[in-house]
Amino acid sequence: MTITLTHYLVLAAILFSLGIYGAITRKNAIGILMALELVFNAVNLTFVAAGRWQPRPDGVGQLFSLFVIAAAAAESVLGLAIILAIYRRRVVVNADEMDLMKN
Amino acid sequence: MADAILFYALATLTVIAAGLVVTVKNIFHAALHLALALFAVAALYVTLGAYFLAAIQVLVYIGAVVVLAIFVINLTRTVTGAAVTLTRRWIVPAALVSALTACLIVVALLKMTLAGPAPMHPPGDTAASLGRQLLGAYVLPFELVSVLLLSALIAAIAVIGKDREDEK
Repeated sequence: MTITLTHYLVLAAILFSLGIYGAITRKNAIGILMALELVFNAVNLTFVAAGRWQPRPDGVGQLFSLFVIAAAAAESVLGLAIILAIYRRRVVVNADEMDLMKN
Repeated sequence: MADAILFYALATLTVIAAGLVVTVKNIFHAALHLALALFAVAALYVTLGAYFLAAIQVLVYIGAVVVLAIFVINLTRTVTGAAVTLTRRWIVPAALVSALTACLIVVALLKMTLAGPAPMHPPGDTAASLGRQLLGAYVLPFELVSVLLLSALIAAIAVIGKDREDEK
């Protein structure tokens, strides 16, 4: 049997929902960021697979993935910097204890 | 046939590693499983003919993002002692939400008529065509991304450096 676009998209859907599950269940902010990386990878996989099965594959799907990877790198750098700054100030890494703006 | 075996092996590896990332108790192990999952996705890019993207995935994700996450894990290690265990919450609602999301996407996919079997030839020299497109039709997004990366760099330094000034 041949592998079709649907195979890759179903795999990306599973990866995406696993990332969603992790982002909801994790309390540790670093854990949430790592789960979000899984979501980004699912989206990238969708882009690359869809670009491959275009009528004339011209690499635009891979180009979009490159942009997503750059944005994800910027996101994780900033997220980890914020986590580290909060940790230095309040010795907290759990997301539900970061409640300085509550009340 | 070999394609199918390769795809299913890599897909199983990806899903197992990703499942361990979101369920394992030790956050350091979660980071290592994340590296494995990202590597499996890079291998899937190779099966799709996206060789340059697979190299970028390994360099940027495993080489930078995971290593950075491990650095931060080690720097914040004192919070709950030597081994930072991960507490979990809302397991049932989260499982429900993610299962429903997956079902929704899969049902929508199966209802669509998508493209047929794979094209036989890989799409040429991908790195060269990507470079030509990045500096041709997509030069404006390319420059925007470089501005984004530069601003993220400056912002990260500003966020981390501010605390140090307060301590003095």
